[in-house]
Parts: sequence; C-alpha cells; structure tokens
Amino acid sequence: MTGNEIHDGGCLCGALRYQVVGAPIWVAHCHCQSCRRASGGAVVTWVGYGEAAFTVTRGEIAYFASSPGVRRGFCATCGSPLTFQSTRWPGEVHVTVGTLDEPAAFAPTAHVFYAERLPWLHIADDARRFAGSGTGAS
Amino acid sequence: MSAAVSIEGGCFCGAIRYRADESPSGVTHCHCTQCRRHGGTAFQTWVSFEGGVTFTKGGPRVYRSSARAERGHCPTCGTPLIFRYVDQAPRISVSIGSLDAPETVMPTRHYWTSEALPWLRLDDDLPRRQRQ
Repeated sequence: MTGNEIHDGGCLCGALRYQVVGAPIWVAHCHCQSCRRASGGAVVTWVGYGEAAFTVTRGEIAYFASSPGVRRGFCATCGSPLTFQSTRWPGEVHVTVGTLDEPAAFAPTAHVFYAERLPWLHIADDARRFAGSGTGAS
Repeated sequence: MSAAVSIEGGCFCGAIRYRADESPSGVTHCHCTQCRRHGGTAFQTWVSFEGGVTFTKGGPRVYRSSARAERGHCPTCGTPLIFRYVDQAPRISVSIGSLDAPETVMPTRHYWTSEALPWLRLDDDLPRRQRQ
C-alpha cells in the first residue's frame, strides 16, 4: 500500500462514512474480552492509523467510553462498531476491518491479547502472537 | 430432574440483558458482507435459539437491515446483539461476544464462505456452506 492510497469505509446502514489515507501503521486481530463484547464477534480485527489519516466524510459517530482513557465509536442507527481510540495509543485511530469497503486489502500481521482468546477459535496464520497489547507498555 | 439450561448475556454497558432457556440450535460463523459491516469484524458468530430469548433488562434498538432480516444493538454502547429473520419468529440469534460465557458454546458451521475474506483461515472441521 502506498503513502497516498485512499480507502473508504462506513457502517452497515450507510449513515456514517469515513476515509483513511495511506498505509496503516498496523493491522491486528484483538482477542480481548472487551473487544468481543463491544463487537459481538469472536475476535476483532483492527486497522491502526494516525489521527491525521482518518476523516469522517458523512454523519456523526456515536461514542461510548468503554474504560478509562478509551472511547469506541459506532453508528447509533445500525450499531456498526467503527473506531477505537485510547490514551494508551495516543494520536491513533483504530478502525474495524469489517467497516472498510475493501477489507481484503488489510491482511493482519499480528494477534494481540492472545491470552484472552476463545479456546475454540483457531486462526491459521504465521502472524506474531502477543499475550498482551504488543506495545512496550504492559 | 434435569438441570434447566440458562444462557445469559448482554451489551458492554449493561443496559441490555437477555436470557435463553434452551440450548442453542446452532452456532454459526457468518462470513457475509452484511455481518462483517454489522460487527466490524472479519466474520461474525451467531448463537441461535429456536424459542427466542427473554430480555430481562432493556431491549435492543432494531435496524431492518434487509427485506428478510432485522439486526439489533445497544443504543448506548453500540454492541451488536441480535439477528433475526422477520418471518422466523420467535427464532433469534445473538452475537457470540455478547454472551457472558462465549467459551462454553461451540461453533457448529460456517455460512457464506463465498464471501469470506481471503486472508482469514479458521482452522476447524466444521461444515461450510458457500451461502447458507
């Protein structure tokens, strides 16, 4: 992916649309219990961007402060989880791979919070598995 | 006397709680584009109850996602909670992540593998349907 490649995304009902520019900082599966609860899924795949690379092009994201320093963005009409922002990753916006128009272009290269994964979920890949966040901080 | 089945769950913020009084009739990994958008995930996993669930606290905001189906979520925290075909009541499916104990239900099948993401490989021997 090149530095000026543009990708669009949005929620299920179309009320919210966003745009991301350039290559993501990272793409990872998150197995944490919070992401499971917030998405309803067995695992959430996040695409990380710097804040400047992310723009809302239609609608207004609804936010939920899921834990201290964290806010999760979603569509109030259809429920699609769109974004994750945390003081733990300052200056970043993480978008859900499923809301991107071309999710096939975003192959994950890591698993994070792998220690919290569901025992029956086996994703076959060579991506690095991090028990926790994978950043230097615990 | 056999033990009654009780499977509970709810949204992230706790405003909505539900309970099922039967075992799931199926636990489906769905790879379709609609489920991907609804959950934001690479695929969704739905736990189906033929007799429906009882909402013990609150209730989902419902969105008519197609001519055939409705999807519901929590308006406060956004958690995608339910999927149901409008003509199959009381049958309902809840999102696996909304269960209090998702590790205790075992997936039984994959649907819509024709729309599965190419970089996603789930290692299991579950039956797969290209559609459903």
